[in-house]
Amino acid sequence: MVNYGNTDKRLKAALRILQVVIGLMFLTLFGRLVQLQVIEYETYSPISERNSVRQETVNPSRGLILDRNGTIIVENTPVYSIFVTPADFKTENIELLAKLMQLPEEFVEIALRHARTYSWHRSSRLFSEVEFDIFSRIEENIWRLPGITHQIESRRSYPAGIKASHTLGYLSEITAQEFSRTTEYRLGDKTGRSGIELTYESRLRGETGLQLRRVNAYGQGIGPFDDGALDQNPIKGANILTTIDVELQFLAEKLMANKAGGLVAMDPNTGEILAIVSSPDFDISRLSGRMDRDYWIALNSDTLRPLFNRAIAMREPPGSTFKPIMGLVGLHLGVVTPETNVFCNGGYTRGRLYRCTAIHGNQNLEEAIKNSCNTYFFRMMDRIALTHGLNDWHALINRMGLGRRNNIDLPSENPGLLPDSSQMDVMFGRRQWGLGDQINLGVGQGVMGATPLQMAIATSEIANGGYWVQPHLVKYINHENGETETITPGKSRIEWIRDQDLAVVRRGMRRAVVEGSGRFYVDIRSIEIAGKTGTAQNSRGRDHGWFISYAPFENPQIVVAVIIENGGFGSVSAAPIASLLIEQYINGEIRRPNLVNMMLNFVPRDSNINF
Amino acid sequence: MTWYKQFDWFTVFAWIMLSTVGLIAIYSATLGPVSDFLPDHIQRNFSKQLTAVSLSIIAIIVLQFTSPRSFQQLSYLFYAVCILLTTLTIFIGVEVNGARSWLEFFGVRIQTSELLKLATILAVANYLTSQRNISAVRVKTALVAITMIVVPVIIVILQNDTGTALVFLPLIPVMLFLSGLPHGISVFMISPAIIGYLSIIDWKYGVIATIVLTLAVYMLEKRPWLGVSSLIFGLLVVVGVHVALHDVLQPHQQMRVEAFVNPFVDPQGAGWNVIQAKTAISSGGIYGKGFLEGTQTQLRFLPEQWTDFIFCVVAEEFGLIGAGFVIFVLMFLLLRLLNNAVNIKNNFSQLVIVGVVTILFTHILINLGSSMGLMPVIGVPLPFLSYGGSSFLSNTIMLGICMNLYFRQREMGPFA
Repeated sequence: MVNYGNTDKRLKAALRILQVVIGLMFLTLFGRLVQLQVIEYETYSPISERNSVRQETVNPSRGLILDRNGTIIVENTPVYSIFVTPADFKTENIELLAKLMQLPEEFVEIALRHARTYSWHRSSRLFSEVEFDIFSRIEENIWRLPGITHQIESRRSYPAGIKASHTLGYLSEITAQEFSRTTEYRLGDKTGRSGIELTYESRLRGETGLQLRRVNAYGQGIGPFDDGALDQNPIKGANILTTIDVELQFLAEKLMANKAGGLVAMDPNTGEILAIVSSPDFDISRLSGRMDRDYWIALNSDTLRPLFNRAIAMREPPGSTFKPIMGLVGLHLGVVTPETNVFCNGGYTRGRLYRCTAIHGNQNLEEAIKNSCNTYFFRMMDRIALTHGLNDWHALINRMGLGRRNNIDLPSENPGLLPDSSQMDVMFGRRQWGLGDQINLGVGQGVMGATPLQMAIATSEIANGGYWVQPHLVKYINHENGETETITPGKSRIEWIRDQDLAVVRRGMRRAVVEGSGRFYVDIRSIEIAGKTGTAQNSRGRDHGWFISYAPFENPQIVVAVIIENGGFGSVSAAPIASLLIEQYINGEIRRPNLVNMMLNFVPRDSNINF
Repeated sequence: MTWYKQFDWFTVFAWIMLSTVGLIAIYSATLGPVSDFLPDHIQRNFSKQLTAVSLSIIAIIVLQFTSPRSFQQLSYLFYAVCILLTTLTIFIGVEVNGARSWLEFFGVRIQTSELLKLATILAVANYLTSQRNISAVRVKTALVAITMIVVPVIIVILQNDTGTALVFLPLIPVMLFLSGLPHGISVFMISPAIIGYLSIIDWKYGVIATIVLTLAVYMLEKRPWLGVSSLIFGLLVVVGVHVALHDVLQPHQQMRVEAFVNPFVDPQGAGWNVIQAKTAISSGGIYGKGFLEGTQTQLRFLPEQWTDFIFCVVAEEFGLIGAGFVIFVLMFLLLRLLNNAVNIKNNFSQLVIVGVVTILFTHILINLGSSMGLMPVIGVPLPFLSYGGSSFLSNTIMLGICMNLYFRQREMGPFA
């Protein structure tokens, strides 16, 4: 038997032990508190801030594209889109979402299934381009719909009524590979894929802004963080003022409709492109928002290749439009003088007969250009090849911009083909080519090809007194901060071109319009137009119709180069279009509605006679 | 001596402090800016808690007019009634958050397991006191006492409220320790908890703890068989925990344990609570973010911030100063109660006070440990601070009884 005093003592000891244990454990808890709040404060405090502050990127609005007079060609239209992250979205909410969207539940389910096949964890568009009131209703209820987000996106729209599809270009979302190579874009950002949108992407894009927003645990935005003190506003993309003349472009597109070919109208003194058309074209607005897949496939499978920019990339023999250039070369090399007379009896014989279009009789250079006499130029090329060689010829004409890129501010410019001896070696084999392969070149046929752009540049050189001008589409870039960047294109005197030689060629071109093949559709009383038609043989059916021209004769303001694929005679297919554009540009109006109608309903006819 | 010199003013003062801090925190957690994201019924929690506090004040006062003897006399009856009620709850209770712990009387919901805590303490204390020398050295006495504690545990587990069930368990070693169980055996009895806890973190810690505790047991008792069995048993616990973690536990339970060891494995899922709670506490710093200014609290990052994670609210908004204050008040309250127990010359009173302290301390330890990432998250309220009428009322009644046992100790007599 133990007495109670003993029990009492033992109990007291036990209680003291308990006190010590409890006290120690409390001190441990307090120590942990100190550890968390004092020592690890630096670790966790940022987490709490990151938790409650969400960094949102704000896309800048893309720069506008304007014509030379300030008319807006490309602008942005807001588009409201609903996004979903399927993993976060609860299927019970389909009903609510369908109610808010005013759609049957099946629609939402189908859209959701699409999103799931794309990815469970990445957000994808559930509905794009929704009505504003539906969009705002979703926005109000967004906290009840975990996994659903909304975004105001913008898409390009084209208010000026011109298409200029190849020139303006379209945008599309960057691909996963591109995303992995860049730090400037976020997934889902759009980037220019062709045309000006691609060339001037860095200016048009602007700079992404940052916005810090306070959010709760559901990711619902509560308001700006720190009253927006740390926000970085997005910098709007620069507006681009192009050299395009909307009215001229509109007319050019109208005239080129339902034909295949390219057209370049430019200011010969500056290289500013006034209008540029590649036909057939496509509807960029169908490629600019959400990619219209069926349309894209249709475009790519079209045998006429609508995506191909004929104006700067179509390489065809220039035919007779090459003759003024040959004239300059011949005069420079001294194989002819302006007074040299060549007798045309319907062809030129050198090993074989090289046919002319007619029997022209005695021709000097001026008359040969006017009449488009092949004999004269076959003989000239023959002499050049013999006395100077192909490479001299090549070097001179290359300086004029043929056979090389002229660095227009558009992607996929084709350098054309202007052969020198090494290229001939490649094409025919070493020593496998001879005079017979070179004489054709004198009339712009054979193994050579030029783009409408190159022909426009060569024509500009004739018109402006022998200056090579870099073709360009952009005049000014107006940055958001008010700075204006002026684009200064290259311009250089072509040393070998002499003014007295130019005068001869110009007169020939003027007479070609007044007395020659241009007299039917090009010669108008109010404007002195100079030009040269061309009808180029090609391996793919009917001849291509060419026309190069400039006006006014004395003080050239505009150069137009046109090619109509398989259009037959250049004088009836390409020339009327060029003359109408010149009339519109110089006079500001067209007084020949019949000709316009004729060209709208143009049906190419076979040209039995070549050249 | 006048009555107010006998009265335990310190305890009352501590109680007022804690419930005030609790009310402030509940206000912040439910009616602060966060209320925009909370449903109406949760926004009513503050006023409900205020009602509970008012009722508790009445309860404390009424209790002081009760004879301490009645607690002892009624303890078995009360125990039986509570066992009945809790058993009834399993079948007709109202389910909240998966646990069927509430009985509804005329629109008032009572968490019956809260009352069962008090009943168990009183009944076990009464039983042990009735035994000669309050000695649990005799195996039969110990087994009866253990059974009296285990039965409620089983019932509460059947209510699917594992957290509350866990709170009962420490009563076993503590009550037996008080009843004369040798120190070595007491250490042996609590060693599974310590070894298990450490094994969850890393099995190596479990092995080290086993060795250390075995040495301690041997030093205290000098009985070789006890030392050997302690070692074997400890290692069995290590293996058991390991097997349980990987094979027995449901995947979601495994995740929870995993989240405790390394919350960043699944920061959006199981680790969420742990990370957000730690973040809330830590980002409070020394001075706190200010009342209604805690971003974790007000932006709804904390789960159950008015009950299980109320401490995070205090720590975030009032910093080390506020949270440290809470910890120290809780500590001094419990130490004070134990001091009272030392001074009372009545075994029943002493055992009841120790029981109450054990239950309160277990709550505090689990709650603070969960909040501060010291143990897997177990949903247990923080006494006197967390929202919950039943819990607040029953904790206050337990405290009131302890005060009464001290205040009117002379009525009990030393040999009751």
